[in-house]
Amino acid sequence: MQENDHSVIRAVLAGDKEAYGALVRAHSATVFRVAFRIVGNEADAEEIVQEAFLRGYQRLESFEQRSTFGTWIYRIAVNCALNRINQPGIEAEYRPGEESDPEEKTVQVATKDADPERSLLSREISAAQETAMRRLTPTEKTAFVLRHHEDRSMTEIADALGVAPNAAKQAVFRAVQKLRRELAPLRGIA
Amino acid sequence: MKHLSEEELIELYYGEAAHPVSAHLEACRECTAQYVELKQSLDAMRPAAAPQPSAQYGERVWKALKPQLIPYEKKARGWRGWSQWRAATLALGCAMLLAAAFVGGRYWERHTAKQDNAAGNRNPQTVQPTVLVVLTDHLDRTERLLVALEHADSSDHVENAQLQSEARELLASNRLYRATASRSGDPALTGALDRLEGVLAEIANNPNLTAEDLERVRKEMNTQGILFEIRVLKTRKADEGNAPNHSGGASI
Repeated sequence: MQENDHSVIRAVLAGDKEAYGALVRAHSATVFRVAFRIVGNEADAEEIVQEAFLRGYQRLESFEQRSTFGTWIYRIAVNCALNRINQPGIEAEYRPGEESDPEEKTVQVATKDADPERSLLSREISAAQETAMRRLTPTEKTAFVLRHHEDRSMTEIADALGVAPNAAKQAVFRAVQKLRRELAPLRGIA
Repeated sequence: MKHLSEEELIELYYGEAAHPVSAHLEACRECTAQYVELKQSLDAMRPAAAPQPSAQYGERVWKALKPQLIPYEKKARGWRGWSQWRAATLALGCAMLLAAAFVGGRYWERHTAKQDNAAGNRNPQTVQPTVLVVLTDHLDRTERLLVALEHADSSDHVENAQLQSEARELLASNRLYRATASRSGDPALTGALDRLEGVLAEIANNPNLTAEDLERVRKEMNTQGILFEIRVLKTRKADEGNAPNHSGGASI
């Protein structure tokens, strides 16, 4: 795949614009997923996918063949998403997974029974998580999403955010500490 | 027995802890209990379930994107089009040009050094590298920003906006200085610039900078400590700049 991506990039740089379509088709789903997890809504995530691939095309000459196109475009997308939630007046949404993922409901709720009381509790927990995520700064939120949900290493997070690895690590620590503080009252009832 | 910090427990959760941390956890019940609690909290933070894009999603993105792309210009003549002797001539020409530039540069350097010596180095400013002045300027600006942060009137939105704008400008240059200091093997400067970068990123990337945010940055990131470090570094840089034979340290 990597060698294939590199040959596609050479073709694009040689003037074959159509070849870029293969890269878009191969990587758009991954880019969409990370964009959605950071901004929290589908419309913004789709715009970020477009923006990331457009920027990627415009900067293709600066792409270094040492890295993979997938990692490179992922970094651009994270950057676009971070810029988006950094804009004044735009607030990222955060939707905990249990609403649309029935399998994961069992993780947050101790019983599998569709007990109305449990269901209400589960919704309260989701709402509390959403509020807690909103209180993080854009950098903390993005670092946390990349570490916790996307399982990216601290080095990758640092690269994506354009900061030193230690700064990325501190952003993740602060995010976890804040989230635990915010969600402390719910401990024991979930 | 020294217990594990929350940061170490978080590192352990994400599989990035050093071996002694895991070993301690096996032996310490208190830390094990804390780790179990942390694990439960973090396990409960499930990822937002992203909608699964359809199989045609990539195609849809490409169709929307395609009209916006301007094809890269084809190179009029690639390397393969050159005959070997022309390429060799060009390479030889480049090599001669480089050699001439090198020899000329060495000659010019010696010539100007002689003139400086003849003048008795009356103007030390000419000896001090301009780049050092640039770094000192950066440290000056960051010092001013940190002082402003320490004394910021939290309710003054205009002042906060100015603080944020300055932080954004400094963040970009700080990254360059940090990377260069790291390459030059200057751990004190790298460490200070690294910590400073965290503060600048926090201020610059916050869309709604409030009084609470500033207070939090001041407390959590120990801005007073960083300010002290910057002042020490400035003094060090000034000493390096005034030294008669400036040769050591990071050349930024």
